[in-house]
Amino acid sequence: MIRVDNLHKNFGNLEVLKGVSLEVKKGEVLVIIGPSGSGKSTILRCINLLEEPTKGDIYIEGEKINDKKADINKIRQKVGMVFQHFNLFPNMTAIDNITLAPVKVKKIDKKDAEDIAINLLKKVGLEDKRDSYPVKLSGGQKQRLAIARALAMQPDVMLFDEPTSALDPEMVKEVLNVMKELANEGMTMIVVTHEMGFAREVADRVIFVDDGMIVEEGTPKEVFENPKNPRTKEFFSKIL
Amino acid sequence: MNLDFSSMPQYTQLFINGIIMTIELTLISVAIGAVLGLIVALMKMSSVKVISFIGSAYVEIIRGTPLLVQILIIYNGLPQFGIKFPGFVVGIIALSMNSAGYVAEIIRSGIQAVDPGQMEASRSLGMSHSMAMRYVIIPQAIKNILPALGNEFVVMLKESSIVSVIGFADLTRQAEIISSVTYRAFEPLIIIAAIYFIMTLVFSRLLSKFERRLRSGDTR
Ligand SMILES: Nc1ncnc2c1ncn2[C@@H]1O[C@H](COP(=O)(O)OP(=O)(O)O)[C@@H](O)[C@H]1O
Ligand SMILES: [Mg+2]
Repeated sequence: MIRVDNLHKNFGNLEVLKGVSLEVKKGEVLVIIGPSGSGKSTILRCINLLEEPTKGDIYIEGEKINDKKADINKIRQKVGMVFQHFNLFPNMTAIDNITLAPVKVKKIDKKDAEDIAINLLKKVGLEDKRDSYPVKLSGGQKQRLAIARALAMQPDVMLFDEPTSALDPEMVKEVLNVMKELANEGMTMIVVTHEMGFAREVADRVIFVDDGMIVEEGTPKEVFENPKNPRTKEFFSKIL
Repeated sequence: MNLDFSSMPQYTQLFINGIIMTIELTLISVAIGAVLGLIVALMKMSSVKVISFIGSAYVEIIRGTPLLVQILIIYNGLPQFGIKFPGFVVGIIALSMNSAGYVAEIIRSGIQAVDPGQMEASRSLGMSHSMAMRYVIIPQAIKNILPALGNEFVVMLKESSIVSVIGFADLTRQAEIISSVTYRAFEPLIIIAAIYFIMTLVFSRLLSKFERRLRSGDTR
């Protein structure tokens, strides 16, 4: 479904990704862990072409996306993204946040888009917030709305970049629950997170990124219980 | 020193004409300046280096030279190319071009003040750059831009007095005319100073009212 091949990314002289390769199959949940600044966000942002890879290839369903001829907007429709800071549209109500892209990009009828949106609001437990502006929502509600907004484009893959890191602890669970449900429904997901409980429970595979490289990869059991790389061990000893 | 306003009331009509001219000139110039300014701002933000350079150069030149000099260049320069406009048009051209330089910066900073995350979220949903601008960024930027644009109008209301040097019949020019026929140098100036003061006061008040409305309508 997604294949990343020897991905390099430089910001000026700073080499942030130093040859990352990974593969995610349909319906699989990949969790990316690693210290701050190791390049986790950059990996996700390259998969969404929010950053242009310096070197290497990215394929989504066999199509090379970092190609001059590739239609970036079409590709992005297939890849949903959820950001740490939600990035909701503050000047729109919850339902308008969800319907904007389907109506403008996919040219779906406004009425149909609203039907889809209402279903998604139900799914994330916000049906009573359809006419609320983001400022009136709690952090957890904001992030659930952001998930609903991404799902409205009916993506094949969902990317989550530390979706609970900006939340108060009591709100983390409600967001993780939505993500678990999504995983159970068979959504293909790549999740950057520090929520190790979530990773253990939901991930099919875990990769540990340090200094722009994948230094450890395996099932949650393998990575958490039996890390081979000393840097992984050190990371766990710090956060657990 | 003796002040004598007794001869002034008979020139009321001239003062009124001047007020109308000044407001008209300012409105038209800021309106054209806003359109030009938007174009210059978009040029400045362009990813094409040459275009962005032209946009930046325009802003720097306009902001880095005196308005009076700009007006004189246009007033004396255009006829050299066989283009001759009446004072009104020269005034509008000069003030619009000047305003465009300032408005471009207002628009650019208004757009750049919008959280970059908004553009990223829009793009991640499959919107093109121009779609994101139109539906997400600009509507948010307008809230930053409009108050500053109103402020530009108030500034221009005063600055426009400079067009009197090219014979444009604005409020300042009317004062000059009246003093030349009444031989009273001081009184007309005091009167127009008061008029300018009241106009800027009134418009600033209206503006802050409007700004408050804009904010209270802001449901964020
Ligand atoms: N746009 C950028 N310009 C310059 N440096 C950047 C940019 N984005 C990220 N970086 C740098 O790249 C490195 C990795 O960043 P990131 O992928 O955000 O790490 P992580 O998500 O693992 O914390 C950091 O050192 C960061 O400062
Ligand atoms: Mg990050």
